[in-house]
Amino acid sequence: MAAYRIMVIDDENIVGKMIKTAFEHDGYIVETFLNPKPALARLKEEKFHVVITDLKMKDMDGMGVLKTIKDESPEIKVIMITAFASLDAAVEAFRRNANDFFAKPVKISDLKACVQRLLHETPSQG
Amino acid sequence: MKLVHKIILGNVLAIMFIAVVYAFSYQKLDLLLNKLNFVEIAEGLNANLLKMRLSEKNYFLYKDKSDLPLIHEDLNKSAQAIDDERENLKRAIGKEKLAQLESNLKKYEQEVAALEKSGEFTKEMAESLRETGRQLREQSASLIQLEREAVNRIIVASRRALFSFFCFVLAIAATTSYLFFSKMFRSLRRIEKVATAISKGNFNKIGGKIPNDELGSVMTAINSMSEELGSRLEQLIQSRKLASMGVLTAGVAHELGNPLNNISMVAQNYLALYDDLSPEDRLDYMQTVLDQTERIRRVVQNLLDFSKPKKTDFQMVDMNQLAKESLKLVQNMFDVTCIESKLELEPTLPPVFIDRHKIEEVFVNLLTNAVHAMSTCGGAVYIRTRLEEKGDSVVIEVEDTGEGISAEFLPHIFDPFFSTKGTEGTGLGLSISYGIIKNHNGKIDVKSQIGKGTTFTIQLPAHRQEEI
Repeated sequence: MAAYRIMVIDDENIVGKMIKTAFEHDGYIVETFLNPKPALARLKEEKFHVVITDLKMKDMDGMGVLKTIKDESPEIKVIMITAFASLDAAVEAFRRNANDFFAKPVKISDLKACVQRLLHETPSQG
Repeated sequence: MKLVHKIILGNVLAIMFIAVVYAFSYQKLDLLLNKLNFVEIAEGLNANLLKMRLSEKNYFLYKDKSDLPLIHEDLNKSAQAIDDERENLKRAIGKEKLAQLESNLKKYEQEVAALEKSGEFTKEMAESLRETGRQLREQSASLIQLEREAVNRIIVASRRALFSFFCFVLAIAATTSYLFFSKMFRSLRRIEKVATAISKGNFNKIGGKIPNDELGSVMTAINSMSEELGSRLEQLIQSRKLASMGVLTAGVAHELGNPLNNISMVAQNYLALYDDLSPEDRLDYMQTVLDQTERIRRVVQNLLDFSKPKKTDFQMVDMNQLAKESLKLVQNMFDVTCIESKLELEPTLPPVFIDRHKIEEVFVNLLTNAVHAMSTCGGAVYIRTRLEEKGDSVVIEVEDTGEGISAEFLPHIFDPFFSTKGTEGTGLGLSISYGIIKNHNGKIDVKSQIGKGTTFTIQLPAHRQEEI
């Protein structure tokens, strides 16, 4: 079975780096992006199973990333993470079909469990 | 002395003076009346003597003895008149002349009596009688003359005295009015100056000596009002800071949440993957933890710096450095609103001598306003520094690409309590900024175009090397 592909979009480079380290250790392929625009461009070239994105970033709102992904490839699972956690933001994210929502600080083990749960809902096509 | 007392005193003095002038005029007019009465009497005497001499002439001409009793009659009338007015006459012509007049009258009487007795008259007798009569007439005529002259003198003297009174009153009135009103206007000008300053948000006090009058009471009232407004403003500034804290908190959650998350993730990986990590990785992880801790410390420090009241503290400051630090203070606000901040700094600037916390407050105010002016994503705020053309001041520009301010509001934006943000703003930010820049002998200007944005320009005097 080919490895699952995970994309991380967060302007905090440590977030990308740590998720990458942790998930690659479990055999996932992880690509990290600091800005949403190149990330969305990369999604057009390569199939990803899960996108983990920050909610508040400089160039584009994480909400915008969510909308674009769900409009173009609704099968991709999107997990939102944010340091700016509010009930309104969570409700808004789920209304736009986010698959899960994490407030920073994120427990990596929870994140892994979440990714696994989401991936088992959809068999790997890679 | 109170103004009302001064006015009462002035009126009392004026009334007293009018009374003096009245008394003087009354006395002079009374004297004049007496003199005119006396002139009338003297003219009566003169007429008597004239009649007497007419009878005398008739007698010598027609030798008619019946003329002599007529002379007697007139003589008696004259003697009676002199007797009645003895005191006045004595005063008018003197004791000596009066005695002379009376002795002449007596002599005339005796000569007439002698004529009556003898029934005849010699040429000598006639001559002597005529001479005495002539002298009598002359004396009585000079009496009238003297009194008329006295009347003239009184009139002239009164006229002069009244004119002097007039000049005196004019001079006194002009001098006291000048002193009274100039003092009052000085006080009013001092009040006006401070009132104008208060209306511009500078809660100054009227310095110097407070006069002990009604305007002094007004000054004291204005001073306590200014003090009260000043302390209210302090409270408002503090509450405004708390209000901005509310705005900042959203950003702070983001600003603290990120480094906390970073530390947490690094620690989780460190624990979970300890055996798989190379020694370099482990060192790198721990360094990351330290860096992120430092990041948190800075955020907290910035918050404390912003919220605590600051004492005045002037120092030499590099404006570029300050611009960067001020931007950092509000950076999270930019982050959560997806507005770009762009620094365009002139690399070599002379230092400025300023209270860095105060100027930082101005920057934070301007940057907060700029962000609020841009409701939509994609805008940018430019922070520029440059040296003014003459080289004697440093110019800082804060430009936004927001909605702009309409020309109608533009002249009022530095007024205290003026806000276009409705209930969100206190209307104090720009007014406080204006006050701060003014206290630094600087200038703050604004230009705006609807739909294009607003630019605030601050000029602060550059600190030259030789001044240190």
